[in-house]
Amino acid sequence: MSCNHTADSAGQPVSPSGCSRRNFLVSVAGGLSIGFFLPDGGRMLEAATAPATEAQLNAWVRIGTDGKITLLFGGCEMGQGSMSGLSQILAEELMVDWNQLTIRPADADAKISYTTGGSSAVSRRYLPLRTAAATARELLVAAAMLTTGDTARGNYSAKSGVITRKDPVTGALQSWNYGSLALQAATPQAQALLPAVIPLTPPDQFRLIGKPLARPDIPPKTNGSALYGIDVFLPGMVFAVIKHCPTIGGTLALTPATPSGAIAVVPCFTPADRGAIAKNSFNAVAVVADNTWKAKKIAQGLKVQWALPASTASVDSASLVTLAKQLLETGQPIVAEPASAAPDPATLKTVLGSSAKSLEATFTVPHLAHATMEVLNCSVRPTHTAGVLTGLEIWAPTQSAMSVVATANVVAPSLTPAQITVHTTFLGGGLGRKIEQDYISQAVQIAVAVGRPVKLTWMREEDFGHDQYRPMAVIRVRAGLNATGGITAWWYRNVSPSILQQRGRAGLDSQAIEGSVRLPYTRAMSLTEWVPLPSGIPVGFWRSVGASINAFAVESMIDMLAIAAGRDPFVFRASLVSDPRYLDLLAAADAASSWRKTLPSNRAWGMAVAESFGTLVCEVIEISAPTAGAVVIHRVAAVVDCGTVINPDSVEAQIQGAIIHGLTAALWGEMKFVNGVASQGNFNRYRMMRLNETPTITVKVMTSANPPTGIGEPGVPPSAPALANAYSRLKKTRVTSLPLFPGTSMSGL
Amino acid sequence: MYTLNVNGVTYQANVTDAETPLLWVLRDVLGLTGTKYGCGIEVCGACTVLIDGQVEHSCVFDVSSAVGKKIVTIEGLSATNSHPVQKAWIQCQVPQCGYCQSGMIMATEGARRAGHHGNEILPELKNVCVCGTYERIRRAVKTL
Repeated sequence: MSCNHTADSAGQPVSPSGCSRRNFLVSVAGGLSIGFFLPDGGRMLEAATAPATEAQLNAWVRIGTDGKITLLFGGCEMGQGSMSGLSQILAEELMVDWNQLTIRPADADAKISYTTGGSSAVSRRYLPLRTAAATARELLVAAAMLTTGDTARGNYSAKSGVITRKDPVTGALQSWNYGSLALQAATPQAQALLPAVIPLTPPDQFRLIGKPLARPDIPPKTNGSALYGIDVFLPGMVFAVIKHCPTIGGTLALTPATPSGAIAVVPCFTPADRGAIAKNSFNAVAVVADNTWKAKKIAQGLKVQWALPASTASVDSASLVTLAKQLLETGQPIVAEPASAAPDPATLKTVLGSSAKSLEATFTVPHLAHATMEVLNCSVRPTHTAGVLTGLEIWAPTQSAMSVVATANVVAPSLTPAQITVHTTFLGGGLGRKIEQDYISQAVQIAVAVGRPVKLTWMREEDFGHDQYRPMAVIRVRAGLNATGGITAWWYRNVSPSILQQRGRAGLDSQAIEGSVRLPYTRAMSLTEWVPLPSGIPVGFWRSVGASINAFAVESMIDMLAIAAGRDPFVFRASLVSDPRYLDLLAAADAASSWRKTLPSNRAWGMAVAESFGTLVCEVIEISAPTAGAVVIHRVAAVVDCGTVINPDSVEAQIQGAIIHGLTAALWGEMKFVNGVASQGNFNRYRMMRLNETPTITVKVMTSANPPTGIGEPGVPPSAPALANAYSRLKKTRVTSLPLFPGTSMSGL
Repeated sequence: MYTLNVNGVTYQANVTDAETPLLWVLRDVLGLTGTKYGCGIEVCGACTVLIDGQVEHSCVFDVSSAVGKKIVTIEGLSATNSHPVQKAWIQCQVPQCGYCQSGMIMATEGARRAGHHGNEILPELKNVCVCGTYERIRRAVKTL
């Protein structure tokens, strides 16, 4: 059964009524809606492929004969707004109104699914999606041409889901709504009429791109109806929790018997090598029961025999910092610059020694947890024919639906990929953690073992304790100044565990050096080196990845140089920059933070600028420290240049959120390992910023005609160095280690 | 079996353990999944509901203690988003990932029922939002 759309007099779809909580179509104000594949009594409410009454004009656009316009979304929505942003781009060129749409997350499909990461959802799809939607629009025009026999494109226009033809002689108007043209538009005859070059809308005629449109995913998030992975609820479902070996690298010695009250205990293997954890090793057991709480209680009391690794030195924070400091001196570095551009260390030493001023600092940052609000989870329904597994249907809060298909196929190799269906739900935060496949593999393993629908939920303690953490790093920066404040030499050496080497890629890790090589500052010579730190701690992609680490060291050193040169941080930076984008950004940030010139003496300000994912962000922060061991962040002025803006309201939201994310980590974020075990198991020991601690944040977005660049992550990197620079000025002592306040707890509500 | 009054509807909840937190009864037994699991230790607030009008954290509230009381969850405000707090949240485009927002909205509604208005509500909002939507929560709360 499907909720029926009705058409109003203009032929436009209107909101469905009478959909129950478990139905699929989330209706929002004005007709714009999001349709999810949701289970209902074991049946799917919408067909996986376009029904005969709907024409699929390309991978993203479907037009129903009833006028329903469906845009398919191939990524994931985890708060960053790209479900809305990509739809704005499609709707712009399709010439439909924002309230005429149904947006539907696509099932995993190589034609449309992509991995959501690297702040790339919009920037990589801006032109492809405009072209696809414009092509669909031209197919609808072609369908009208086939109806009239008039193929002169100039006689037709498209607006609000209607094609209109104006007779060149009589001026008479004829119009068709898209629905009535849909089937004809999908024919080869319509294809044959497509122009050789598909015309795109000139930016000065944009109706939707650049407008602060209301996001369609927000209304379901204010009434409890939004479907996150953790909310999937299937008929006959059982509930599982996971219990990993607490020591990273430990494995299951013996599968425990199923305790009373439990449905099953299932040993689980890990799908990939990560540090001390070996691919295919059984490092966890799942406990299955008839509700999550019961499963958790049973798992808590379950005695499991683990085989522990002989040494845990590589999974111990203190040991790793000691080793990293040794490698800073003795390690074999990999040079990031091309060999032709890299000075040799002996020359650098000589130049540094003969510079008017020479500075050196060693910076340390810790491992960080992702701590997404929605813990890792995944639901799986196995189907059987004559007792044999013949299909898997998976609901996952995942950043990579295609990876989920591959992961499930490894667990169930008897299936073809076509027998594995993956529905991407909303994500209660992703932050890079939900690219990984460990929780997906476990859920499939459990479902195959118990032979019935199952939801796996990681309890918060497992989520913190078995993350793939933002790497720690120890970074030494040496820099020289000449008498006029120019940089004579810059020597940057980063020692850190490698995300990519843990994923089997040898050599220079592009993630590790992100944000440290192509700096905007003129330096007479520069050398950027990376030394991989052998580490057993699983590391992964954390919002802004390497830039979150390197911006702290780079921008702290630039601030130190400004102080050494006796220059204002804005003036000093501007003197070293020639790129007009940076100069404009700095000038705008200078203007946006004029308050900094009249601060009382017990307050200080700091700034930092960083480029990541093609986007430039400058942040200026005002702080005070009324008591020892604490800081009050009063305000942040941010300026962002992200090229063409799709939705300015979303850009503001992402920068606001990224600043809070970055500041939280800089103040308190640290995951400590002792003898192979993660020390922080819940939010009480992993402090997050609360509303009363949140500064006022202003965001200025630069006007730009450049293509759009990333927005989900770039607000993070400047926040830690801007805070550290402010704190260093306030305390007159350089901050070289994050977090500012380690070991802080968070109180209960 | 526990008899619960949730959003004005009487439910028979089939659980045996009297200490089962209300959160898991709402989610896994009654299928009311708008109330979220975040920490399980009453620190983050994602599981906030109203019980007899008071803000409670359902992750640490025993099901047996909820019998005979009036429980209101996010689903009980308004399915059509007509409640003033929901309207303010949409107007100010507050949610990002949205996962904490059920709890944030219920905490706000609890503060309103305790007689707070506008900025007086802010000190009552200690829930955690990892997306960092606090600035927009401030804007939304001002109008309430």
